[in-house]
Amino acid sequence: MVNKSVLVLGGGIAGVASSLRLAVNGFKVYLVEREPTIGGAALFFCCKATEACNQCSVCLVPEKIAEVKAQPQISLLTNSQVAEISGQVGDFSVRLIQRPRFVDPEKCTACGVCAELCPSQPNKAIYLPSPQALPYAYAIDKNNCLHFNGVECNICSQECPFGAIDFDRSPEKIELSVDAIIIATGFDVFNAKEKGCLGYGRYTNVLTGLDLERKFSTQGSITLPSSGKAPQNVAFIQCVGSRDVHIGNGYCSQICCKYAMRFAKLLQYQHPETKITIFYMDLQTAGKGFGEFYQQCKETIRFVRGIPVEISEISPDELEVKYEDFIEGKVAKEIFDLVILSVGITPRKDSSNIARILGINLGEWGFFDTQDHLDSTETNVEGIFVAGTCHGPKDIPESIAHGAQAASKVIQTLAARGI
Amino acid sequence: MDEVKIGVFICNCGDTISKSVDLLDIRARLEKLADVALVSIGHDLCSPQAQQAIRKDIIDNGINRVVIAACSPQLYGDALANLVEKAGLNRHLLSVANIREQCSWVHPDKDKATKKAMVQIRMAVDKVRLQDVVEQAEVEVYKDVLVIGGGIVGMEVAIELSNLNLRTTLIEKEANLGGRLKQFAALYPLQVTPEEMLTSRLKQVTGSENIDALTSAGLKDLSGEVGNFTAKIRKGNEEISRNFGAIILATGYETLFLDKVYGFELGDNIITQSQLEGMLKSPGEIKKIPQSVGFVFDICDEHSRISTPSTLRNALVIKERFGSEVYVLCRNLQVDGAGLEKLYQDVRNKGVIFFKFERFPKVLRENGKINIQVEDLSMAREQVMLSCDLLVVEEKVVPHQDFATLESMLNIGLGPRDFYQEDNVHLYPTSSTKSGIFFAGNCHQDLDLGRALTDASNAASEAYQLISSGKMRVEVERVVVDPDKCALCLTCLRFCPHDAIRIDYEKKTAHILDLACQGCGICAAVCPAKAIKFKDWSDDQILAELEVV
Ligand SMILES: Cc1cc2nc3c(=O)[nH]c(=O)nc-3n(C[C@H](O)[C@H](O)[C@H](O)COP(=O)(O)OP(=O)(O)OC[C@H]3O[C@@H](n4cnc5c(N)ncnc54)[C@H](O)[C@@H]3O)c2cc1C
Ligand SMILES: Cc1cc2nc3c(=O)[nH]c(=O)nc-3n(C[C@H](O)[C@H](O)[C@H](O)COP(=O)(O)OP(=O)(O)OC[C@H]3O[C@@H](n4cnc5c(N)ncnc54)[C@H](O)[C@@H]3O)c2cc1C
Ligand code: SF4
Ligand code: SF4
Repeated sequence: MVNKSVLVLGGGIAGVASSLRLAVNGFKVYLVEREPTIGGAALFFCCKATEACNQCSVCLVPEKIAEVKAQPQISLLTNSQVAEISGQVGDFSVRLIQRPRFVDPEKCTACGVCAELCPSQPNKAIYLPSPQALPYAYAIDKNNCLHFNGVECNICSQECPFGAIDFDRSPEKIELSVDAIIIATGFDVFNAKEKGCLGYGRYTNVLTGLDLERKFSTQGSITLPSSGKAPQNVAFIQCVGSRDVHIGNGYCSQICCKYAMRFAKLLQYQHPETKITIFYMDLQTAGKGFGEFYQQCKETIRFVRGIPVEISEISPDELEVKYEDFIEGKVAKEIFDLVILSVGITPRKDSSNIARILGINLGEWGFFDTQDHLDSTETNVEGIFVAGTCHGPKDIPESIAHGAQAASKVIQTLAARGI
Repeated sequence: MDEVKIGVFICNCGDTISKSVDLLDIRARLEKLADVALVSIGHDLCSPQAQQAIRKDIIDNGINRVVIAACSPQLYGDALANLVEKAGLNRHLLSVANIREQCSWVHPDKDKATKKAMVQIRMAVDKVRLQDVVEQAEVEVYKDVLVIGGGIVGMEVAIELSNLNLRTTLIEKEANLGGRLKQFAALYPLQVTPEEMLTSRLKQVTGSENIDALTSAGLKDLSGEVGNFTAKIRKGNEEISRNFGAIILATGYETLFLDKVYGFELGDNIITQSQLEGMLKSPGEIKKIPQSVGFVFDICDEHSRISTPSTLRNALVIKERFGSEVYVLCRNLQVDGAGLEKLYQDVRNKGVIFFKFERFPKVLRENGKINIQVEDLSMAREQVMLSCDLLVVEEKVVPHQDFATLESMLNIGLGPRDFYQEDNVHLYPTSSTKSGIFFAGNCHQDLDLGRALTDASNAASEAYQLISSGKMRVEVERVVVDPDKCALCLTCLRFCPHDAIRIDYEKKTAHILDLACQGCGICAAVCPAKAIKFKDWSDDQILAELEVV
């Protein structure tokens, strides 16, 4: 066992990968997560297998979470955020604020009695963040909870068979001292409403890739929001919020071409008669095995080069998509019953705040910058490293590899300094 | 043998199992089975509290065989085996029934799910009764790593291992380290030059006491297994023999021009991307400055990660250095790498013109000029005629010529597009099928430099994790060959994907290398003489399971 400790900020798949790599090498890890569970964005995504696995990698997330659970070297600090950091490599002092969960994860067995009784409408205030959550325990959402909104409700705390609920908790300060820090705070999904002309939020049957992930992972399939029927004619629009300098996102998000094609195949697997069109600029088909998958996609999916600029709703089931038809050399209009906007990855809204607390630099588009473009984990502050999508777009396997790389750089840096 | 006392521990998994399986009913029925001494239902068996309780139950009740009915053993199999061990039993006296993923999560009908779970648990009970002890041992392993290939990736691997205090021998077949990068005029992202990248790494390689870099060297022979490989290395006329705990392949790739695919030959102002690199690198070679240059790719390798960055940066260099007209023709730009979209925008702003084609353009040579006929998709498929002084074409990425010899020496396989095949691209992206041999960089995937360096770091730390303690735990004789039955037909040897079988000609039998064996079971399945036995998956155990169904 080595006598060194590391703070990993952000419990998405990248932070998890960093923590695991450090822990197996004997390091003490404090894994700090803002939400009530680790796992990050991809915890809520769906398996995109058809008759064969299509290698979307989403199943790696529960796999890695299970490894964290079995790893005594990792201390989980959920509901927590960093308030202040001082010191230097080998001797950082960190002050965290842990918001109360109001449910003691040590006592909660996730029996679910509380949620059944919770009277809050339409959303229950006490919930299990995910069936794969870690800690595997319920949490209370203060915004929905009657108790915290002027009503005298104590039902859950009275009825919990394990006495796990306690409303009288206030935020706690936690002080840690660590040798190094890895930042893995992840990304925000592009807000499709910023592209007003595509009608997201206004037209019922315009959804985003994120909506698809959620719907498939909770319901296992997708229907038209307007009528509940199976979609017949679906359009995917690529690069929504990516590759667009005008909105400050002059980069490719790297994930949306792949998830769009996998979703398209999945849709056709469930409804073989569904017609699918993908509107794109350039298809990102590199990566082991993906070229072969793309060749299969071409057999049943129509690919049209060009990004539509406008969608109008003729009726809830009829969306008119206007695009430039290069083949005919004119503007074309076509009707679809469902349009999916392939939204991409953007920097976290609060990344400048984190950058200020830690004294690290932001790059051109607002992701955390690294020193040398070819060492992609070291920041300008010695002993502080970045991992995963907070450094720029990456898919799940790349976020895992980057997380492990950051961990290995921590081990090397501390060894070189004799810490 | 002592009296068999089986303990069955069932998990309700936060109610996700008990919701669709009637565990109380199952317990009542299990308690009536022969040899079952205890049946217990618990919450979240993976929690430390529950594990403590199981341990106590095992000890207090003198349980000597354990069945756990819970989630997939993929998730907690190891942890559960550790638990059994902590209770003083051999870790192989455990059988796990997956009643979560294989039952409760997928069968909403409670009656049917309960029936199925009961069958699954009974199978485990009948199997565990016959299971055998497998002892574990600790063996010493070498803390040295052999890195094959001295390109940028091989150097990075050696440097990182050296930083982690492991010794490496780095062998490079050329006279100099550096690989492909030596040939490049520039790099993307453009902030670093290839020289800077190489110089900084060369300095670290030569400055490190932990790294022995051998150039003009190659692997001649390899024997042994993970933790204990013996490599014969040829350097000039010399032959060096060394022992290693792990091996990392960083042999990169070669590029080839395929005239059959293109329908024309090189020469007369048609050159490959690699040739262009050379020209830009030593400007003396450029006799006449080209007024117009065309780049074409996506013809022999549509999904390459390399064509786009190399074309974009070279287009920029040509535009800036010579002010030539530059055209780029391709199907798709692969801009899914750090900084590539930005580079594309910069190149466009500098006046480079892009044509994205669906059908392959026609290339005609006329009076020293090259005319390219291409459909312009932005102009209603109008045919456009471009005239260039120089045409640069992509090459296909292919394995090294000596790939085949390395492959047979190391006994590892090739996957799609002829890159080395990982054991599991998802879960172990840098591991080969053979324990202790790892891949880094472009020998197993088509990677740009940023990704290749991340990969290098991962391969190094995987090897570190495996051998850095100088010891490995191994299961002793988990799989055994019965010498009386073995007919030396060599079937198992051919089928084993992990190269874990050796033939002992003196004793006239095959035998299994404990360290290399990954327990996949293929050998036992293919052996025509039924000479191979898995102590925890033997034929009689499987038959006992099938009896239940
Ligand atoms: C619509 C969509 C579909 C996708 N589909 C796929 C797919 O099919 N396959 C694939 O490989 N990839 C896919 N991706 C990409 C994938 O989501 C990412 O690669 C992956 O989630 C990145 O992991 P991460 O750990 O970097 O970030 P995140 O998953 O964002 O995790 C970051 C974590 O840090 C926490 N955090 C943030 N700020 C703080 C703070 N200040 N303090 C403490 N904690 C903090 C967050 O709560 C979060 O848990 C998709 C992405 C999108 C948008
Ligand atoms: C034309 C071209 C342009 C590129 N441009 C870019 C770019 O702009 N940006 C970018 O990010 N990436 C670019 N790349 C990709 C980049 O070159 C690779 O990511 C990187 O060079 C891979 O390094 P490597 O060490 O894996 O392979 P290599 O550089 O090929 O090194 C492999 C080394 O192993 C040695 N070797 C092979 N077999 C044996 C053996 N049996 N025994 C001993 N030694 C052996 C070889 O001699 C060689 O030195 C480009 C690639 C090409 C082909
Ligand atoms: S990689 Fe994706 S498609 Fe394949 S099994 Fe995992 S989640 Fe499903
Ligand atoms: S991955 Fe595809 S859809 Fe996403 S930004 Fe890149 S090119 Fe556009």
